[in-house]
Amino acid sequence: MYEYARMKFYCDEYRCIECNACTVACAEAHELPVGIHRRKVITLNEGIEGKEFSTSIACMHCTDAPCAQVCPVDCFYIREDGIVLHDKDKCIGCGYCLYACPFGAPQFPRDGAFGVRGVMDKCTMCAGGPAPTNSIEEFELYGQNRIAEGKVPMCAAVCSTNALIVGDADSVAEIKRARDAAKGKGPMTPYGWDVAYK
Amino acid sequence: MKKLLPLIGIFAFAGNVHLAEPNLAPVNKGSTLISPQMIEAIPAWRNYGELFLYLQTHWVKLLFLIILIAVPTVFLLHYLIIGPKKFSHEGRKFLVFPSWQRIIHWIAALGFVLIIPTGIMIIYAKLFGGGTPVRFARYLHDIGAVLFGIAVIPMFLMWLKEMLPRLWDIKWFMILGGYLSKEKKEIPAAKFNAGQKMWYWIATLGGIVMIITGAMMYFQDFDIALLNSLNLYQIDLLRLAVITHLFLAMLIVAFFLTHVYMSVFAIKGSLDSMIDGCKSEDELKYLHSVFYKKIIKEGKDKELAEKC
Repeated sequence: MYEYARMKFYCDEYRCIECNACTVACAEAHELPVGIHRRKVITLNEGIEGKEFSTSIACMHCTDAPCAQVCPVDCFYIREDGIVLHDKDKCIGCGYCLYACPFGAPQFPRDGAFGVRGVMDKCTMCAGGPAPTNSIEEFELYGQNRIAEGKVPMCAAVCSTNALIVGDADSVAEIKRARDAAKGKGPMTPYGWDVAYK
Repeated sequence: MKKLLPLIGIFAFAGNVHLAEPNLAPVNKGSTLISPQMIEAIPAWRNYGELFLYLQTHWVKLLFLIILIAVPTVFLLHYLIIGPKKFSHEGRKFLVFPSWQRIIHWIAALGFVLIIPTGIMIIYAKLFGGGTPVRFARYLHDIGAVLFGIAVIPMFLMWLKEMLPRLWDIKWFMILGGYLSKEKKEIPAAKFNAGQKMWYWIATLGGIVMIITGAMMYFQDFDIALLNSLNLYQIDLLRLAVITHLFLAMLIVAFFLTHVYMSVFAIKGSLDSMIDGCKSEDELKYLHSVFYKKIIKEGKDKELAEKC
């Protein structure tokens, strides 16, 4: 049976060392404005021995993306490989996608004299946007299109501990299973996923 | 000029930069949206995130469509079947709205005229193709909110006393303000009838809630201690804000359409009282009988008539 690949991110909180390389590499690669972090590294239970861990979070490219469902302009589209992208020319910056998103991925740069909220910006899994592939327009609006060039998304490419991995869901799950087995703990659900994906 | 300097300083003041220790980088707490809260709030999506998703995908557009079609249709039928009320505009006129009240009313009205169509444009943004036109509508929506925000508190205070519910309002509701009959009879109402009172409370208190929830969505990132005591994440508060904003908007739009129909079409010439501030004796006698009897009894009628 043929199965379509669905591209997924996975961050292993047992490996993430809070180096912020993914955040910085992403911001540099896509020349993001100050204050916009498509990928964020967050540490939980900081200072509590045995409980502290870090994880990297961005758009999770959900299968039935809530952002795409609530958008009043329908500016989202989900590629055949599962990458969730949006059209910044259509986006009105209403913020509904942020309210629907479980992961807080959509962000809104403020610009202009009055600091009005601009159009939404989020992780593209380095797959650009609806503008012509690898055009200057695409780069300025959405950043690099590394997927079109056959490269790994920037954040995963620079992850020094291989905590952040990206690929089709089956391959990612296989790596995760192998890592869990090596720890001898059986399958472990990443933080929050058991509730968010119930 | 020297006296003005501190005043200018207020506007030039950009906010405190807290220093942890001298010569160290400023401590920037940053966004509460980008913090451990962000991860902790993922499971909380089930509370309000899913609710917003359900309401936005199933109900919001549908309910607004029903309101935008049903309310004008009911009024069109009312106009065709029962018809507008006509009163003589000859004879004495009384000043009911002094100029300052009319100015406040029209500032709020201008706000509404900007807010409602642009709000509808945001909800049905797909129909308008999105992009620049709807983004511009969003900015107008904010400007309208500022105009309304200027007028709402004075409007609330200036009519508060006359808008308090009275016993005869029950009678008004029993006959639905007399709008279902062609008969010309005295309607139990003082300066404002029960319908106007409902609109007043929805527009002022509801309007203030709209401003608060709207401001929350406008600023997105704010930090209030209240959140911790409520056991809410910031994103939850934003979700509650958008749900409240959308559903309260339905009520306000329905009442706004009613207000426009009543003042422009249903009672011929009633709009004049908000333009020159004067209402004709005939109209006042029937539609605001309690108020009319009161000014006659107190002998204020001559004084009020002189001002017109």
